[in-house]
Amino acid sequence: MMKNLILTLMALFALCFAEAQTTTIRFAPQWFPQAQFAGYYAALDQGFYQEADLEVKIIHPTDDESSMNMLISGKADVVSSFLMDGLTSRLSQEIPLVNIAQLSQHSTLMFVTKASSGIDTLKALDNKKVAIWSSGFDKLPRALLEEEGIDVEFVPIYNSINLFLEGGVDAMTVMYYNEYDQIINSGVNEDELNKFFFLDYEGFDIPEDGLYCLQQTLDKDKDALRKFVKASLKGWEYVDKNREYALDLVVEKMNKARLANSRAHQRWMLDKVVGQLAPMDKNVKQGHLLEADFQRALNIIQSEARSGAEMKTLPFDSFYEPLVD
Amino acid sequence: MRKNTLSTKIITRVLLIILIIGAVVFSIYYYFTRATLEEMTRQNAASLANNTVHKIEMVIRPSEKIPENLAWMLEAGAVPHDSVFPFLKQLLKNNPSISGCVIAYEPYSIDPERKYYAPFAYYDKQGNIDTNYLGGEDLNYFIRDWYQIPVMLEKNYWTEPYFAEGGGDMFLTSYSVPFYKRKNGKRQVAGVITIDISLNWLTDIVNSVEILETRYAFLLSGNGVYVTHPDRSNIMNETIFTHAKELDEPKMREVGRDMISGKSKLRSVKLKDIGSVLVYHTPIPSTKWSLGVVYPRDEIFANLHQLTWLMIALSLLGLVVLTVVTIRIIKGLTRPLSQFAQSARVIAEGNFNIALPDTGKTEEIKELRTSFEFMQRELDNYIVHLKETTSAKEKIESELRIAKEIQMGMIPQIFPPFPNLNQIDLFAMLEPAKEVGGDLYDFFMIDDTHLCFAIGDVSGKGVPASLFMAVTRTLLRSLAPKQNSPKKIVDSLNNSLAQGNESSMFVTFFLGILNVETGELKYTNAGHNPPLMMHEGDGTAYFEITKDIPVGLIENFEYTELERTIHKNDRIFFYTDGITEAENSKEELYSDEKLLHLLTSIESLSPAEIIQDVEKDVKIHVGDNEQSDDLTMMCVIYYGKSEDKGNA
Repeated sequence: MMKNLILTLMALFALCFAEAQTTTIRFAPQWFPQAQFAGYYAALDQGFYQEADLEVKIIHPTDDESSMNMLISGKADVVSSFLMDGLTSRLSQEIPLVNIAQLSQHSTLMFVTKASSGIDTLKALDNKKVAIWSSGFDKLPRALLEEEGIDVEFVPIYNSINLFLEGGVDAMTVMYYNEYDQIINSGVNEDELNKFFFLDYEGFDIPEDGLYCLQQTLDKDKDALRKFVKASLKGWEYVDKNREYALDLVVEKMNKARLANSRAHQRWMLDKVVGQLAPMDKNVKQGHLLEADFQRALNIIQSEARSGAEMKTLPFDSFYEPLVD
Repeated sequence: MRKNTLSTKIITRVLLIILIIGAVVFSIYYYFTRATLEEMTRQNAASLANNTVHKIEMVIRPSEKIPENLAWMLEAGAVPHDSVFPFLKQLLKNNPSISGCVIAYEPYSIDPERKYYAPFAYYDKQGNIDTNYLGGEDLNYFIRDWYQIPVMLEKNYWTEPYFAEGGGDMFLTSYSVPFYKRKNGKRQVAGVITIDISLNWLTDIVNSVEILETRYAFLLSGNGVYVTHPDRSNIMNETIFTHAKELDEPKMREVGRDMISGKSKLRSVKLKDIGSVLVYHTPIPSTKWSLGVVYPRDEIFANLHQLTWLMIALSLLGLVVLTVVTIRIIKGLTRPLSQFAQSARVIAEGNFNIALPDTGKTEEIKELRTSFEFMQRELDNYIVHLKETTSAKEKIESELRIAKEIQMGMIPQIFPPFPNLNQIDLFAMLEPAKEVGGDLYDFFMIDDTHLCFAIGDVSGKGVPASLFMAVTRTLLRSLAPKQNSPKKIVDSLNNSLAQGNESSMFVTFFLGILNVETGELKYTNAGHNPPLMMHEGDGTAYFEITKDIPVGLIENFEYTELERTIHKNDRIFFYTDGITEAENSKEELYSDEKLLHLLTSIESLSPAEIIQDVEKDVKIHVGDNEQSDDLTMMCVIYYGKSEDKGNA
């Protein structure tokens, strides 16, 4: 009797303690501070995480360490990553990560050429030089051109638009929310550019930013992660309605990180990133991953890898475990 | 000030003209001053910008020579690989403007095992020159702008400015020069020599342009990034294009595009935050950057505007003074005029001898006074003269009235003239055109059976004609009883009148003697209008025209005597040319025909009625026209012998 009572009290105490305990989540976005991550900054700044009994630390990657590496090394609990990169990491590097929310629903990838070059169709890119980031994000551009039967010379670049502006390449792969606006902000007018949006090509509107964690973290802290996702989405809703506040926050972060920043550019980015959140014509709820999108992304990765290692199958359920309502 | 006074008119007109002239002169002055100021600003901006560019180029240009020479040395094999670090260290020491220098080679070109080979000399945080090798998985320099662009484009390249890695305020740009090697006879890029140049000195040079309160300069990189800007938060963060977007200034974007395309231009731009500005920009040829100098228009034209307002205020004050002074002058000048006007009114009331105002010293007023005096005198004389003339005229008029009464008294005016004579009735009238006339008629019984009657018209009018008429009538009365023949009477009358007739006056004259018992009519017509014979119920006709001349012209003229018999109830109508030649306003004469026609229609009326009807008809014809000649008519009706009277 006494033993039972003690056990019951201990269990109750443990329960109370567990309830009151705040969980720490270290979140690593995949790039330096910018408007792409405004929703998370707002959730933190507005105390949405705190309200959910979470202590969230946002840690940005450095030149030396990517967010994915932070996840692997255990420096981060949750990372933000493009679907293609998440999937690639899971397949090729066999990192046991799972997608717990898919925020972006659309592709913002595009090719741009100078209108003066006369390259106004994808076909005209044949045998031309196309700049592409050396740091990844290159699978989709390669797959699209391959599917269209266009042979180009890819020129790896770091992260600047100068090679394109100087005329060193005929085309450049850009994100609509980022490099495209940088080109415009370097004095090139929109009508001086030809634009090829990936989302205009069947099967290439692959979603981008999603939230990922390791399977083991998911198993351990599922409730906390669910709260994190919920508070993050609340943060995104908040910035949608409070753009200037969000920009203040972003600019402050960037200044702290000693990053060159322009409010105009960050505003553009925020508009596009927020716009990406809406499913629009896709039959999926906000925050969820459409299985068809997953399948297309998987096909692209597998078809690229077909000459190499054996085809790996990946069930949708084992990659996608949504913590979104 | 009353409207329409002389001073109002002069003031308004003169003021208007002064205002117009002032506005024109002022506009021209303003326009030219403004243009000059703008031109001065343009020159100032151009020289300021060019000076600044020159200062920048003084640093940049010599630095460009270093990697260019080094490239040549490397290609010539003048720098052995084992002495690269000491060489680079020495280079940094010798060239203080350079903060780092790297010779970066193509992958595996030096050592087949080594992808990255890039000896690098730089200043460490303590300010000592240090060396190491650049490159590795964390720094793939082959895809960095400073390496990739000069290699791919095979041209020298100034990078966009950047902050030094590892923090600090080190603000850098790099200049890269590709160098080459020969492989299989082909010229091939072997690598890139890059020097880093600190840009902190740039800010000092460009900021030194801020001389005036709001004038400033800014420097744009090739991509439009603010390299320097008075608002430090813009530096490296904003491009002129993002700035333009934030300010929503499309024109600013145009300026930016002109700047990064290397144009030199002065232009006026209106910006929402600082208003209208003049921007002059000119490129920095080496780096392809662009320097802009901004002059707020308010500041350029501030002094001009100040002066303008001062001048406008002074001009308005001047105009007020001018107005007051002009009004006073004009009032002083015109005071005599109103006094003269007062005098004129008094003179007009008849007081000619009023003293004239003795004011005004100007020639015009003196002349006016003289004229007034002259007018006064003349008026006085005229009035005196007029009084005399008027009394003389009144005397003549009264004499003429008396003369008329006398003249009218000379002709018989009592009708019926012979109440006891049954055989005839007679009516006559004479209406002179003037007070006294030259027409005459007369009738009288020579004896119991003979009626003498006459009608005449003296040439001319007025007093002479009336005197001649009086003479004629008097002669007729004295001659007729002695002669019973019209011819003899007229002959005698003619001779009497023709003698001593120096004024050559004459009289047309008809004289008839009717035997009232027999109806026998003897008559002589001396140039007078033929009378009309009215046979009651048997037509009316003129007497025949005779060739006898008027009386009084030629002495001893032999007049003819004619004879005809008058029947019972015949009427004879006599008249002077005042009837037939009565004129209406259209200058149409009453005419013989009209008279004949009228008389034909009234041939059964009594002589008095006939004369009244003719007079009425003539007056209707004449209408409002003035009566120009005497109207004289006489009508005789013959009732036949005394025993026949009852049948009339």
